[in-house]
Amino acid sequence: MASNANQRRARRVQGQGRSLLLPQQQPGTPRRARPQRYSASDLSLRGAAWKLLSGIREGQTQVDTPQVGDMAYWSHPIDLHFATKGLQGWPRLHLQVWSQDSFGRCQLAGYGFCHVPSSPGTHQLACHTWRPLGSWREQLARAFVGGGPQLLHGDTIYSGADRYRLHTAAGGTVHLEIGLLLRHFDRYGVEC
Amino acid sequence: MNPKEEKVKIITEEFIENDEDANVGKRKKNSKVQRQPRKKQPPTTGPDKMMLEESHLGNQQELVQDEPQTRLLSVTARRGPRSLPPIPSASRTGFAEFSMRERMREKLQAARSKAESALLQEIPTPRPQRLRSPTVKELETEFGTESGKEVGSTQQEDDTQSYARVKFHVSARKIKSKPQVPPGFPSAEEAYNFFTFTFDPEPEEAEEKPKHGDGTHQEEEEGEEEPPTEEGANRMDEEELLHGKDAEDFLLGLDHTADEFLAVRPAHYESVHVRLQREKEMLFIPSRLTVPTYKKLPENVQPRFLEDEGLYIGERPEVARTNQNIMENRLLTQESGRRWFGDDGRILALPNPIKPFPSRPPVFMQEQSIKAELETLYKKAVKYVHRSQHMIGSGDPAGNFQLDIDISGLIFTHHPCFSREHVLAAKLAQLYDQYLARHQRNKAKFLTDKLQALRNAVQTGLNPEKPHQSLDTIQKTINEYKSEIRQTRKLRDAEQERDRTLLKTIIKVWKEMKSLREFQRFTNTPLKLVLRKEKVDQKTDEEAYEAEIQAEISELLEEHTEEYEQKMEEYRTSYQQWKAWKKAQRAKKKKKKQATEEHPEEETEEPYPEEDPVKPSPPEPTDRAAVEQQVRERAAQSRRRPGEPTLLPELSLAGSVTPNDQCPRAEVWRREDVKRRSVYLKVLFNNKEVSRTVSRQLGTDFRVHFGQIFNLQIFNWPESLTLQVYETVGHSSPTLLAEVFLPIPETTIVTGRAPIEEVEFSSNQHVTLDHEGVGSGVPFSFEADGSNQLILMTSGKVSHSVAWAIGENGIPLIPPLSQQNIGFRSALKRADAISSIGTSGVTDMKKLAKWAAESKLDPNDPNNAPLMQLISVATSGESYVPDFFRLEQLQQEFNFVSDEELNRSKRFRLLHLRSQQVPEFRNYKQIPVYDREIMEKVFQDYEKRLRDRNVIETKDHIDTHRAVVAKYLQQVRESVINRFLIAKQHFLLADLVVEEEVPNISILGLNLFKLAEQKRPLRPRRKGRKKVTAQNLSDGDIRLLVNIIRAYDLPVRKPTASKFQQPSRSSRTFREKHAASPDTRSPTHSADYPLGQVLVRPFVEVSFQRTICHTTTAEGPNPSWNEELELPFRAPNGDYSTASLQSVKDVVFINIFDEVLYDVLEDDRERGNGIHTRIERHWLGCVKIPFSTIYFQARIDGTFKIDIPPVLLGYSKEQNMIIERDFDSVRSLSEGSYITLFITIEPQLVPGESVREKFDSQEDEKLLQATEKFQAECALKFPKRQCLATVIDISGKTVFITRYLKPLNPPQELLNIYPNNPQATAELVARYVSLIPFLPDTVSFAGLCDLWSTSDQFLDLLAGDEEEHAVLLCNYFLFLGKKAWLVMGNAIPEGPTAYVLTWEKSHYLIWNPCSGNFYGQFDTFCPLKNVGCLIGPDNIWFNIQQYDSPLRINFDVTKHKLWKSFFSRSLPYPGLSSVQPEELIYQNTDKAAAAELQDRIEKILKEKIMDWRPRHLTRWNRYCTSTLRHFLPLLESSQGEDIEDDHRAELLKQLGDYRFSGFPLHMPYSEVKPLIDAVYSTGVHNIDVPNVEFALAVYIHPYPKNVLSVWIYVASLIRNR
Repeated sequence: MASNANQRRARRVQGQGRSLLLPQQQPGTPRRARPQRYSASDLSLRGAAWKLLSGIREGQTQVDTPQVGDMAYWSHPIDLHFATKGLQGWPRLHLQVWSQDSFGRCQLAGYGFCHVPSSPGTHQLACHTWRPLGSWREQLARAFVGGGPQLLHGDTIYSGADRYRLHTAAGGTVHLEIGLLLRHFDRYGVEC
Repeated sequence: MNPKEEKVKIITEEFIENDEDANVGKRKKNSKVQRQPRKKQPPTTGPDKMMLEESHLGNQQELVQDEPQTRLLSVTARRGPRSLPPIPSASRTGFAEFSMRERMREKLQAARSKAESALLQEIPTPRPQRLRSPTVKELETEFGTESGKEVGSTQQEDDTQSYARVKFHVSARKIKSKPQVPPGFPSAEEAYNFFTFTFDPEPEEAEEKPKHGDGTHQEEEEGEEEPPTEEGANRMDEEELLHGKDAEDFLLGLDHTADEFLAVRPAHYESVHVRLQREKEMLFIPSRLTVPTYKKLPENVQPRFLEDEGLYIGERPEVARTNQNIMENRLLTQESGRRWFGDDGRILALPNPIKPFPSRPPVFMQEQSIKAELETLYKKAVKYVHRSQHMIGSGDPAGNFQLDIDISGLIFTHHPCFSREHVLAAKLAQLYDQYLARHQRNKAKFLTDKLQALRNAVQTGLNPEKPHQSLDTIQKTINEYKSEIRQTRKLRDAEQERDRTLLKTIIKVWKEMKSLREFQRFTNTPLKLVLRKEKVDQKTDEEAYEAEIQAEISELLEEHTEEYEQKMEEYRTSYQQWKAWKKAQRAKKKKKKQATEEHPEEETEEPYPEEDPVKPSPPEPTDRAAVEQQVRERAAQSRRRPGEPTLLPELSLAGSVTPNDQCPRAEVWRREDVKRRSVYLKVLFNNKEVSRTVSRQLGTDFRVHFGQIFNLQIFNWPESLTLQVYETVGHSSPTLLAEVFLPIPETTIVTGRAPIEEVEFSSNQHVTLDHEGVGSGVPFSFEADGSNQLILMTSGKVSHSVAWAIGENGIPLIPPLSQQNIGFRSALKRADAISSIGTSGVTDMKKLAKWAAESKLDPNDPNNAPLMQLISVATSGESYVPDFFRLEQLQQEFNFVSDEELNRSKRFRLLHLRSQQVPEFRNYKQIPVYDREIMEKVFQDYEKRLRDRNVIETKDHIDTHRAVVAKYLQQVRESVINRFLIAKQHFLLADLVVEEEVPNISILGLNLFKLAEQKRPLRPRRKGRKKVTAQNLSDGDIRLLVNIIRAYDLPVRKPTASKFQQPSRSSRTFREKHAASPDTRSPTHSADYPLGQVLVRPFVEVSFQRTICHTTTAEGPNPSWNEELELPFRAPNGDYSTASLQSVKDVVFINIFDEVLYDVLEDDRERGNGIHTRIERHWLGCVKIPFSTIYFQARIDGTFKIDIPPVLLGYSKEQNMIIERDFDSVRSLSEGSYITLFITIEPQLVPGESVREKFDSQEDEKLLQATEKFQAECALKFPKRQCLATVIDISGKTVFITRYLKPLNPPQELLNIYPNNPQATAELVARYVSLIPFLPDTVSFAGLCDLWSTSDQFLDLLAGDEEEHAVLLCNYFLFLGKKAWLVMGNAIPEGPTAYVLTWEKSHYLIWNPCSGNFYGQFDTFCPLKNVGCLIGPDNIWFNIQQYDSPLRINFDVTKHKLWKSFFSRSLPYPGLSSVQPEELIYQNTDKAAAAELQDRIEKILKEKIMDWRPRHLTRWNRYCTSTLRHFLPLLESSQGEDIEDDHRAELLKQLGDYRFSGFPLHMPYSEVKPLIDAVYSTGVHNIDVPNVEFALAVYIHPYPKNVLSVWIYVASLIRNR
């Protein structure tokens, strides 16, 4: 009623008669095949206009060990339901891909973010990720002993202009399948 | 252009076109018949068409040429009239366009040449104007292309003439070659469109037009059709007139080769000047000169500079001056060009969007210019730490924490290699250290000063200068001062004496050492003591000394006099007493003398218990001289004599050590031995060696310097930190000298701040050496004769410092506090921070303003407006300063709705609450789509709960204490649930993946064997059912199966007394009349009852969740039903999750009723004809089984004791016993009735598992390991037996179980009742414990885990499950001096439970703590079915006997073969302290409150009974109620025994006219609801005899600590008529 419900879905949860639907995340393709990968996702809402009605704002997928090829399949469902009173701070997904090596140690494989599309329906999103490259020493260390440089300040991820000054390496693409339901946006003159 | 090439190309193109044309032609044949004749006219259609097109194009070209005013050729004017409407050439898209244009040109030329000759006659009048109109349309859209053509065509027109001939050849050839060439260029359709599109509107008209139209406006359309014929004519003209030869060729033919059509021509050239000239006419070239401002502005307007007026204008993008001028000039010539200029006369421009600096710096610059937010940090690959990842709130991984241990050195205060001199030296050094320490503190001086000050104070106090102070207070203060002076003086004297003795000892030791050195003729130590004398002024010193002594004397005297006074006082009083006593004595003696004569036996009493007071002696007055002497003596002893110099010892290492060659051999050996020795230290962290120091040689001074710092990187909070001192002699293996325990530093101590500390150690090793070394642990002496022996142990000091390290960013690396902020997810959390200033800057306005000033923020920039405003507000100071910083200032403007409106949405609220798992909405399904469909009442409960959260609700609980407790319990529950939330998320693989086992060979083999199995075995076995997980369940899926098999020893009807029977004629018991009760003992009716008749007709009713099922009626006191009842189960809120099922509080009531038939025939005459009876049912007893028990047990199978009310009017068991005693003496011995049941849930549910997480504990690590080991061993041997060693306390910590057992005092008033009967007291105590309500932990904590509360918590909460009851009972028994143990085992129906076992002199008793009943060890009806372990206050014994039934096991825990004990010789009991309180404190319950509660419960129950009988009138018999009310307290006092007969008699006496059936119910009080349920389950209200009356009485007996025993007497009365 009062405002807009922005419902995202991809797959109906079995047996749950909710109006809520979840996006299916099908991330994949790290550039180099690493033993295991998982990604941490976080939905950042900037501004007070958006209100999370249900769902978990941030979380972590399971770890997948790519058996064939470079693609890691997480198929991790995210189910979120928002209400908003304005368009400011449209939700975006922030992803961090981590890889786990054979010792069970985790290291960063990429940062990435993408906005939730603004039109209803199913969307295939590809979120490109990158990671800081660091100095040649760090690169060397990364290659041999693992670990790697991480950003001290997460804001850089979103601010494009600043980020260009950073030396980065591509970190693969995370494929997201997002189903989106919008409601009552037209009531406020927003065409989606 | 190479003509040849050109030609070839053209040829091919033409072919294609021709074909197309042909197609078009065909179509035209069909569609437009009228045109056909004309088209057929020319001999060849192909060229015809081609011409058609050409001419058409030509016309178009002409049209275009009409436009520009500068026309080059006059020809066009002539051609004008023939021009056709424009083709939609522009609209024609596709590949053909450009080549088409080319062709067109050529065709045009051809056409033109014809036209030149043929159309000279034509009148070119006003056509251009008319033609214009149709073209304009086209032009509007295609301005650009047209203009381009315009230019192009002008040029071409020049060419046309020169190329005309070629063109002609070409066209001729086209005709020739056309038939042979295959089709292909523009598609047929395109061609069709080309020809038809524009002309369609008026084709007929065009046809009708004469060929040489006179300028009517239709002419344009005509054109299309005209040309062919015309063209033909033209061509002929051309042939003949101009190029005869070509014409010849053409005419001759089609067989000519290509060469013949070629003509070689010079390249066409146009001079630059000409061209420029021409271009000048066509093109507009704006001037580059600056335009004066007035031109750009409207007339009479002055330029206005907004920037000067203070408005913000962004920086304009940079444009070259000339460019700008050109643009301006151009704009000015353009129509409405002025609107491009702004007020200041410049072209309007947006602010420069280009950043002043490059945003991508060159690669190598990067190193220097890293901005703060771009900083990266190299992080090592981190191990996936499970727990911390799941931790809520702290996403940071457990960092490395560091402890710095600095070991600077080691000093031996004694070592076996010490020579005698060393021993003395060590002693001296020690004394000297002591001296230094004392000297530094200088306490004597301090005390002297204090004394002085006090004396002064007393002096001033005695001579009061301020008279207004009251004398009392002065006196008081002076007295206080004086007493303090005394104290201080004593202290000072002691200090001074100690100083002096210390000095003396130092000197003595030094002397000894000197003498030793002299004696042995060498020195081993460089120690040297120098005594420095400090001169003092003899006179002043003496004076001071004397003054001091005098002052002291006077004080002492004063003191003494005071004392004397006091003593005198005492003396006087005692003297008086003595005198009085004496007198009395005398008088007594006199009397006695008389008495003894009369009663000689009294003499024995002569010695009085109190002794004769001695005659007090008066105290002696003090003697001044004696006091003075005393003082002086003491002063002489403890103080420096006046004039004597003060001695200051100084110890130095200045002495020289005698070199080896001057020493005796033994000493040399010693020194060599010392040299061979080396020492090192091991650092042990949590009892694990982490590092060790280097091995250092022992110096001659027995000091070892290490100076090493160990950085321990740790993960856990350190528990112990130990240094081990090792000594190596030569090459032998190192020996452990001693262990030094270092304290773990506090979190505030970080590296750099930690002081060096010394920790002493000593070893108990015995070393005897064959050289000068004195050894350790062996006696030695300094004296020659061996007397005065000393035994010294190796000892020393380690100087060290331990501190927490500081991380790179200055954060101390301390485990619990240090959280490095660069975490895995912390980056996400700070996504919204203001990057440029930092959040702290936002709150600090000055900082913000400064930043704004520094960054040269443009105050006029609208982007900065809110910031500037904020700053101005903040800096101006007076105006309102908001205490917040709004991040989205404009949010408000863009909001669709206000917050309130958003929050008002019911749907959103519902969704939100559901996702928050608020209990009311947890499994709420299908939230409506529209707000209007959501009822307001959905939230009512929730809002009410919110409101009541802090208000103590008394409605449900009635008495306030329980309400408070319920609240508290709720809070505990919430906190516990929160704590376990983490653990709940911890899944195992088995939780997520359900995998059917892959059948292997053995299983297949077994299955094969199964085929051969008997189909119906003689002894069937129960097979395991498949378990169903809770997720896929819904209402109606779950059923509760209750199999009622049989009952034993039910009470039987007792023949009512004759008085009861006789007057009731019509309503005599039916059975008594006809079937008759077989009561042989009843004197009046014995004859009437045939033998073997039914005593009772019982049936069983099972009620669960208000669903009721009952069995058929059986007969006799030992009925057998063997029936299965099915009851549906409904989970609360339809939530079938495990957690929800675990917390179902419903109880299965199994009630046994007696069905009684009453004859209601009014008239005896009808008796022969019909039977008219009424069935009544009388409640006999019930069994209550909580659903949670069934849920956890999956099935319940066994014989249960029926809870029969102590008084069951009209029924008895006695005769029953007598009858059966012959048959079954064992059973009859046990009192009570029993029922055999089998209860299960269909389908079988998977009970929730307890939390797997390990809890933190304060227990010793070794103990915890031992428990794990113990449990593992036990589980290995007997996996089914319960073995408990640690439990979880209410705060979620693991606690060793024996800590719960400790003697605790029961309420004193219970002990007072039977002071001499321990057994009765024990029963009373058990009853008290059983009166505390039972509440399973699974219910209260939603199945999270089993929490044990201590006894005081239990008594405060007044709710708990078996363990708490058992622990309390066991503690009481321990207090009563019994040997008591906690029995962990399985019982029916509880399942795993705790009982209490006591040793009663000769036998064991098993107590059920929840019911208060006790059973002998060999009682077959004992509900405890097997025993897992016994727990005493100091040990745990696990049952390792073959059997575990209490009947078959031996409870003697001292037998190691039968009981495996936890603490044994290898692991002795460490003496664990108890978690229980020292003593339980009981408050007496408020009797008035209990009485009030009693009234309220009675009222509520009465109302309920009336509610349950909506169709009948409920009458209350007050008389009976009051009788019952008197009776209930008796029941309580006798605990419901042995008063039935009296009671019945009394009732009979009072209610003789009524048939009475009723019974008292007894239960502990927790809430009202269980009481109501209990009353409901008895079914008293179900009687619908019209004249029935009811009686209900409630009695509450308060026990200490708010434990209430509730008795409810319900009865129904039917008046006998």
